[in-house]
Amino acid sequence: MVGFLIGEALRDLRRAGRVAVSAIVLITLSLAALGGFWLVSSNLDRAVARWRDRVRIVVYLRREPPAADVAALLERVRTTPGVAAVTFVGKVEALRSLKQVLGKDATVVDQLPTNPLPASLEVTPAAAAATPVGARELVARLAALPEADEVAGSVDWVEQLSHWQRLLTTIGLGVGAVLGIAAILTVTTATTLVLHARRHETEIMRLVGASEVTIRLPLLLQGMMQGLVGAVLALATLVLTYSLVAPRLEPLVNLTLGLSQLVFFTPVGVVALLASGTLLGGLGGWLARAGREP
Amino acid sequence: MIEVHRVSKVYSVGPVKVPALREVSFRIAKGEFVVLTGASGAGKTTLLRLLYRDDLPSEGDIEVLGHNLVPLRRSQIAALRRSIGVVFQDAKLLPVRTVYENVAFVLRVLGTPRREITERVFDALRIVGLSSRAQAYPAQLSQGEAQRAALARAIVRRPPLLLADEPTGNLDESMAAEIIEALKDIGSGGTTIVLATHQARLAATLRRRTLTLAGGHVVKDEG
Repeated sequence: MVGFLIGEALRDLRRAGRVAVSAIVLITLSLAALGGFWLVSSNLDRAVARWRDRVRIVVYLRREPPAADVAALLERVRTTPGVAAVTFVGKVEALRSLKQVLGKDATVVDQLPTNPLPASLEVTPAAAAATPVGARELVARLAALPEADEVAGSVDWVEQLSHWQRLLTTIGLGVGAVLGIAAILTVTTATTLVLHARRHETEIMRLVGASEVTIRLPLLLQGMMQGLVGAVLALATLVLTYSLVAPRLEPLVNLTLGLSQLVFFTPVGVVALLASGTLLGGLGGWLARAGREP
Repeated sequence: MIEVHRVSKVYSVGPVKVPALREVSFRIAKGEFVVLTGASGAGKTTLLRLLYRDDLPSEGDIEVLGHNLVPLRRSQIAALRRSIGVVFQDAKLLPVRTVYENVAFVLRVLGTPRREITERVFDALRIVGLSSRAQAYPAQLSQGEAQRAALARAIVRRPPLLLADEPTGNLDESMAAEIIEALKDIGSGGTTIVLATHQARLAATLRRRTLTLAGGHVVKDEG
């Protein structure tokens, strides 16, 4: 029976001819657009997550506290709302870091009469404080510490990046939805043609007492087949584009966003893409059947 | 097998009511071969459509193969039709399938195991004398052969009841005789047959029980 139903669905696909091909092309375009935006968005999301983890707020201290008082200061800052972790950087350590940064020019530092760098606290914000508003509130709280001279750092640019990532996701969903609706309508048209072409079969099937499932399933299956073929083509397009573009873009992305590698879909993502195509096609087939079945 | 009790059928054409059957009652026993005759428009096709539940009566009750047809749900109608073979004046063969595929289509639709299909299809084609034309397409058949192929399709499931609506209407005398002979063969195997025809001479030569319809009434039940 399964072989019969699939055979009938394939026969219906051939009957739909060029309209079925148009439907497959539209499904390919909509899923390729959706998948492309999804890929860009998911890579940006990785960059945002990585940079959120790296966000630090630095509290420059008026003077370096005595070693005996450091632990108490750290404890006081650690219990401040919005603080996940805090480390103390003394004047000597700050100077050593500066030398490391300067590299071969580090001798310049040795010529300074005194160490001009202040002691500081490097604060890692908690997740709730890693937003523009949360970070501003945390900066205000840290600036209120009697030991604080100046507080530096914000998460604004990370949020900008996050904003672009969300925008891209929205655009991708919008473009994908428009193309997806066009694809559904085309599958519906193809299925309507099929319905007309197979009206004699349907009549015979009803006459001999075929179950409704047997009568309807081939229509749904041919829609799903169109969707699946479209999804496979979209996936192939994305794989090809990724393999061509990713190696060329990765150096730039590494430099600007700190991502050493652009990732493709996970196996779950691939299955989701194929399932979406199948669903789109099936929906088109179902809509035609629901509206015009004899 | 079939019990029709005070059945009326009225079609509405806009505001106009057109009666097709009026207070029709009869019984047909298992294994009977009954001819339903009458002029065109007498109500024969309407009556057959009611028997395979393609339509509902406006009044009255119909029982076929133990089913009261009026309250049947869609799935129950499908179950009923699996026990009824139907043949029309127009053979209604699928043009892109061979005779074999047309007959096998019914079995495949009903989920018959593949190994049984070939045997049953050739059995049916043998009964109607069409085994040699199994691979022909409908366009390659004569009208008589097409009608025999339709008959093979109707009996391939070995239904206990066969309804034939003017199966010889488009055929010349010799082709009509072939169909009638095939129907007699099928009937002799125990299948109940209701044959609707407007050809009074054909009805007379059959010498079977004949129900004559006129103006929607059964005016004669003889034989």
